[in-house]
Amino acid sequence: MKVKRYLRLLGIQLKASGLLSLQYRADFFTEGLTSLFWTFTALAPLFVVYSERPNLEGWSFGEALLVVGWFTLLQGILEGAINPSLTGVVEHIRKGTLDFVLLKPADAQFLVSTQRFQPWRAFNVLTGVGLFVYAFMHLGRWPSVTGLLASVLLLGTSTLLLYSLWILTVSAAFFVVRVDNLTYLFTSIFDFARWPSSVFQGVGRGVLTLVFTYVIPLALMTTFPAQAMLGRLPPQSLVGAVVGAGLFAWGSRQVWLRSIRRYTSASS
Amino acid sequence: MISVRGLRKHYQVHQRPPGLKAALRSLVHRSYTTVKAVDGISFDIRPGERVGFLGPNGAGKTTTLKVLSGLLHPSDGEVTVDGHVPQKREEAFLKKIMLVMGQKQQLLWDLPPAETFELNRAIYDVPQAQYKKTISDLIELLEIGDLIVKPTRQLSLGERMKCELAAALIHQPRVLFLDEPTIGLDVAMQATMRTFIKEYNEKYGATLILTSHYMDDVAALCPRVIVIDKGLLSYDGGLDALVQRVRPEKRVVLRLSEEVDAARLSSLGRVVTHESGTAVLQVQQEAVNATVTRALSTLPVMDLTVENAPLEEVMSELFAESKARRTAASEPVPA
Ligand SMILES: Nc1ncnc2c1ncn2[C@@H]1O[C@H](COP(=O)(O)OP(=O)(O)O)[C@@H](O)[C@H]1O
Ligand SMILES: [Mg+2]
Repeated sequence: MKVKRYLRLLGIQLKASGLLSLQYRADFFTEGLTSLFWTFTALAPLFVVYSERPNLEGWSFGEALLVVGWFTLLQGILEGAINPSLTGVVEHIRKGTLDFVLLKPADAQFLVSTQRFQPWRAFNVLTGVGLFVYAFMHLGRWPSVTGLLASVLLLGTSTLLLYSLWILTVSAAFFVVRVDNLTYLFTSIFDFARWPSSVFQGVGRGVLTLVFTYVIPLALMTTFPAQAMLGRLPPQSLVGAVVGAGLFAWGSRQVWLRSIRRYTSASS
Repeated sequence: MISVRGLRKHYQVHQRPPGLKAALRSLVHRSYTTVKAVDGISFDIRPGERVGFLGPNGAGKTTTLKVLSGLLHPSDGEVTVDGHVPQKREEAFLKKIMLVMGQKQQLLWDLPPAETFELNRAIYDVPQAQYKKTISDLIELLEIGDLIVKPTRQLSLGERMKCELAAALIHQPRVLFLDEPTIGLDVAMQATMRTFIKEYNEKYGATLILTSHYMDDVAALCPRVIVIDKGLLSYDGGLDALVQRVRPEKRVVLRLSEEVDAARLSSLGRVVTHESGTAVLQVQQEAVNATVTRALSTLPVMDLTVENAPLEEVMSELFAESKARRTAASEPVPA
């Protein structure tokens, strides 16, 4: 019953995001072009490196392409399904409208995590899939069914990991800033944005993107699934990834629950 | 329905010095002060009552409403709302209440209000048939039929507030907290909101607490008022009785057919205003009859009414009074 209710809620939130993105249809093309541009930028060094040798640290060109494919795909998920809601929570906190979320008889973490999607980012996901196809054509073979299943499972764990980090970041904000002063934190961040604008513009988002995309153990999120597709991932790594991501998600949930308890909203 | 016993809410506030450097340094060395937003108040509210919270800015009204709706944990004291402890934020409790804040909005900014309604329907598990009925009632009462399909950002403040109210009522809350719901609205829109809020209360028997800057809201809606000042409860009772207590004098308003000497007026009572044929006199309650009789016999009176002092004045006098009492109490005792 509960699951059904939340699925329905998710559907409605998705629909709202869909309607919203239809209002900005032109974004579809910009997203598409940006995605392609970045993909080729990421591919350029690959071409350079592999033009001189057939193999790098045990990875052939086609295999390395798979890693880039996973990177692109996960980036699409991050920017399409995770980051928009993060921006949304920060906005909620800044405007004090998180109150409305907490007034709702539904799980607050669910509500904030599903509040906004950017469907056009699916373009990155498609690009990623395109890269997989091209890579395997280059390799001259296809992945095994178990390999594919394992990589889909790892897609799940990687997404869960990204998402949990996201929840931790938001929760940390509640904690670090002594709750009542949360608004101060965010106004301070926005204060920075008002300085030499060209230097600081979007620092908040930039830093987060940086952290999420590069600082986090990339191996786990891009190399594992690529190895799984190639049928080279040891089973214990698969188990480790599933258990690790599960524990991480559970931990971040606990932190979130505690920080919500400490939340006191801004005065009006 | 609502019971509050010795409620306290103290905030720890971080003193943030001005300037970037000082602000950075204060990240390491923090100094806190305690703000006693609510400092021990108690009251009970019966089902279906309409109660107005009055008090100057920073009195603790919003804080109290947030505690009652489960958004803030009290620092001390006991609060129950329809048998629930708000801070536990149980689903059953949240489904019964709603807090509307005039300065904040829950409507999705870029989408039409109808989308927020639909979302709330799902969140509150409102059965489809009941939802249809509620929505059509709300649309009719608030006259928002054309508005709910336009993106929220295109609506005027008043239109938005009406939709905001509709979004808050989709689950038919039994307890409604309204924090300055009419702030910034023009007079006509304020009146519409008032009528609507009253109708909702009467139709569903909902319990209602309202805070407002506009005394007219409170006068029109709330037979009972609770005055909070600096986190303390300074009055709880009927609005009329409050006016009686603070400002027992009445006002005699005279419309005169010709100009009258100021001296002749002041012999009748204290002249509050006197301009272009209208004079307002303030007289002791016991003297009202005599004054009216004398005015009618000695002055060229076209029209005469007896009124209470305006609520705004009553309030500012009340707050000035309690402030004076506080300063007197905190005066250092000479050695
Ligand atoms: N989150 C908060 N952190 C610190 N102080 C607060 C916070 N919210 C309110 N206050 C302070 O508590 C007091 C009461 O505020 P509030 O309840 O909003 O008053 P009102 O609604 O009556 O104007 C004020 O002095 C206000 O500055
Ligand atoms: Mg307030």
